[in-house]
Amino acid sequence: MRRNVAIISVGYNGRFVSKRPDISIVEMLEQAVRNAISKTKLKPHEIDAFVVGNMHTFEGVNMGNLWASEHILALNKPVMRIATGGTTGMSVFHCAYYHVASGLYDVVCAIGWEKHDEGDAQIGLGGILLPEVFSLAHFGPDLTGKRGGGLGLMGGGGGSTGGASFQAASYLAKSGGGIEHIDMAAALMRANAAKNPYAHLQVPNCKPEDIAKTPIISWPLRYGHTCPTSCGACAVILVAEEKVKKFADTDKVAWVKGVACGTSDATIGNVHDGQITDPADQEICKIVARRAYKKAGIRNPKKEIQVAEVYDGFAHQVLMWPEKLLLVDEGASPKLIEQGYYNLDGELPVNPSGGVTSTNAIGASALVRVAEAALQIMGMAEGGHQVDKKIKNAVAHGWGGLFQFVTVTVLGDTPVKK
Amino acid sequence: MKVEEIKETKEIYSYWDLSAMKWRIESEGLRLLMEGFKEKKVLGRQCHKCGTVYVPGPTYCRKCHIDIYRIVEVKNEGTIGAFTVNLADIRGNPLEEISIVVCVKLDGSDSWLMGRLEGWSDWKEIRSGMRVKVEWSDKPKGALSDLLNFKLIK
Amino acid sequence: MKRRVAIVGYKLMKNTRASEWTRERIYYELSKSLLEELEIKREDIDTFIFASNDFADGRTISEVYLVQRMGAYMRDESKVEQEALNACLYAWLRIQSGEYDTAMVGMASLSSSQFKPLLVQNHELDPVYERPRGLINFYSGAAFQARAYMERFKNFTESHIARYAEKGYRNALKNQYSLQIIPPSIEKIENSDPIYLPIRELEVAPYADGGGVVILASAEKAKKLTKKPVWIEGVGSAQDTYWIGERDLVKLDGLREAARRAYRMAGIKNPKKEISFAEVQTFFASEEPVIAEALGLFEEGSGAEVIEKGLSEIDGKIPVNPSGGSFGGNPMGGTSLIGLINAVKQLREEADDFQVKKAKRALVHSQDGVCAQHNTVMILSAGGKK
Repeated sequence: MRRNVAIISVGYNGRFVSKRPDISIVEMLEQAVRNAISKTKLKPHEIDAFVVGNMHTFEGVNMGNLWASEHILALNKPVMRIATGGTTGMSVFHCAYYHVASGLYDVVCAIGWEKHDEGDAQIGLGGILLPEVFSLAHFGPDLTGKRGGGLGLMGGGGGSTGGASFQAASYLAKSGGGIEHIDMAAALMRANAAKNPYAHLQVPNCKPEDIAKTPIISWPLRYGHTCPTSCGACAVILVAEEKVKKFADTDKVAWVKGVACGTSDATIGNVHDGQITDPADQEICKIVARRAYKKAGIRNPKKEIQVAEVYDGFAHQVLMWPEKLLLVDEGASPKLIEQGYYNLDGELPVNPSGGVTSTNAIGASALVRVAEAALQIMGMAEGGHQVDKKIKNAVAHGWGGLFQFVTVTVLGDTPVKK
Repeated sequence: MKVEEIKETKEIYSYWDLSAMKWRIESEGLRLLMEGFKEKKVLGRQCHKCGTVYVPGPTYCRKCHIDIYRIVEVKNEGTIGAFTVNLADIRGNPLEEISIVVCVKLDGSDSWLMGRLEGWSDWKEIRSGMRVKVEWSDKPKGALSDLLNFKLIK
Repeated sequence: MKRRVAIVGYKLMKNTRASEWTRERIYYELSKSLLEELEIKREDIDTFIFASNDFADGRTISEVYLVQRMGAYMRDESKVEQEALNACLYAWLRIQSGEYDTAMVGMASLSSSQFKPLLVQNHELDPVYERPRGLINFYSGAAFQARAYMERFKNFTESHIARYAEKGYRNALKNQYSLQIIPPSIEKIENSDPIYLPIRELEVAPYADGGGVVILASAEKAKKLTKKPVWIEGVGSAQDTYWIGERDLVKLDGLREAARRAYRMAGIKNPKKEISFAEVQTFFASEEPVIAEALGLFEEGSGAEVIEKGLSEIDGKIPVNPSGGSFGGNPMGGTSLIGLINAVKQLREEADDFQVKKAKRALVHSQDGVCAQHNTVMILSAGGKK
């Protein structure tokens, strides 16, 4: 029989910024966890288990959760560690959900975090394909693709923004949109972020023209379309249905109605096995979304979902993911964003928090998507980015790896009937 | 003591590196590709069950989860699936030379190969779906650099 | 516990010093042969859980090319970054929730041929205090623990540590899937090069390349897939404090807590009588008595007596590491999955030369961090005809 699980509180360690030289990783985690607990009736020792996640090659600390035992209040408690690339945060959330749904624990804390200033993001990102890049050198010296050989680019994923620009170009070709639509998406994200006190890049009243002034790096992606590297931590507390009244400090909690995850193959730089997948197809996202909606009892996502938090590492993904999550028709996003459909006061607000384009602490980003969707349902989003209508259902999404992992979470204001 | 109450903090400098690795990769697909390059051919493998043609060709099919061994040759011409134009570096400084990188699906293959595009004059005219042809080096020696680039067919 | 979950199949790769196969190949071959053995397809597996560590694999998001090899193309998948037993635990939790019926858990680690494990383990230390001081590392931590044990129980000497190591090598030789090192004599081990006294070179478990895959299933599915399911009766895990100086290295509170949780779930009141054998994870021979006593398998302080009287031998009262444990090879990050598979073999009476007689209930243990900071314990019991 299904055990319903609710999110009763969300905590941040503070605003996401590019450098935090004043605190260490574990102090950052402590702030986030204490912030989350302070909004509940929980005493610190009453959390049963913890699930922690981050991308450790960006900081150089393997197993950061071991260091943080006391800081996250996990002394002599179960701790599990998850890491799946960009979608780490939501995989952490799913693991925490299964901890409670299994019946073994009643109160679980999910923590996602990243402290980029302690490492080099480019090295971390390069590390994804480093073995392939080096081995391609063995097969013929050609890593830059300059005069003298083309295929070495496979290992580097091509272009300086890497595979994302291929995804964007392919998406624009299929949907009929143009670079101006990506400008609109990025402007919307920065403007939304200005109403979110925790977001990193806040540009109040950002307009597409402002974004269009930034140079194009790899067509169609501009400097203004890419995400920053942020430092920060996010903690989410999940509680089983029977204990919600006892521990929640608010009447409105966000119920977890359906979770699903999946993977397809590496869709960029697939030097061993051949790249048979167009990164803009994202068939896996549709499969995963259907599974999550089914578990949540949602038959018509276009009508039943009121807000979406998608993982937009690059601004064109604001246009792409709502289509792949079956919230709008395929190829409809360019027209819809022109009409203001995705605005904060539009029909389907997308990323009212500013999305990943405005704040990207890799280990936390996907968890922040769930956290922000939960805040929308609970009516507790601060700073002006609370959507002004009753949110019955929200969907949060994350992707990771070489455009292959996808995780989807559907939240609602009432639990699924058993 | 809460973190907010701390008055003085100290920054410590350190470094870390992961340089103690010896990597190995499954190289069957690349080896086959290099063999074909010697004769100016692009070779891949096809799954005998589902018919998918992989270039570079691994020795297993990811859809059917079986070993595959049928070697096929794909044509030297193909279609642009996706492309990107490198105009500036990651910080926004304009590059001296504009380059175009394309993902090409050669006729007969189900997978994309990435390479440089040549034979173009105005990058704004490039579209997905345009036809390209492989340009080979004069003296191929069985290395990745034998495939010089993909040339736009006008 | 809502549903009974069983381990229905396993495939193990022999530990080697330098694997012929790459990690990708290991996952493909093991998962394919296991699916063929159980006569199911990859579409019948509801979820795939990987256990790998980015630092150990030397690349970020180390499973990008592994997912399709294990058969997870367009399927549900996730990755746990701790010891592989925790990946089994996650798979168990997923099946318990009722949303999944089958799960495949896999690990492949090339600890011997691909990287220097000590460098990776060094990065587990915090960069602010312990790492720059350079005084604590895996070896020195174990040396502290061994010395603490010897001070508290005066009859335990350095030569006993050598005897535990010799038992490990001797058992491992009987295990066809181990490194098959010729067991050195107790004198040779006792006189080998000192590393951090009292730990000596031959008392450190040798690193190896290894891989393994298991499939878990709920009770209904398990009965269809195999005649010899191995039931997971109890699980428990706990993380102790990071600071070595604040822990009692001999008492191991964190491990006691994890064991207590697992025993309570499995309904075990007296482990000394109810556990048939144990596969514990040790990096050093000196850890074995400490861990075995913290698990409640032997009296506290009985380390010397246990090894002298052979109480933990394969034919002893409670065999500890009948497969040789890490002395048959330690693929870092995945040793506990090998321990789990060896325990499953025992309970299905497929352990050949190192078979424990009348094995009914097993304890499998994994540790992360210096001196067993984070521990996971699983209790397994034999199902099927006896």
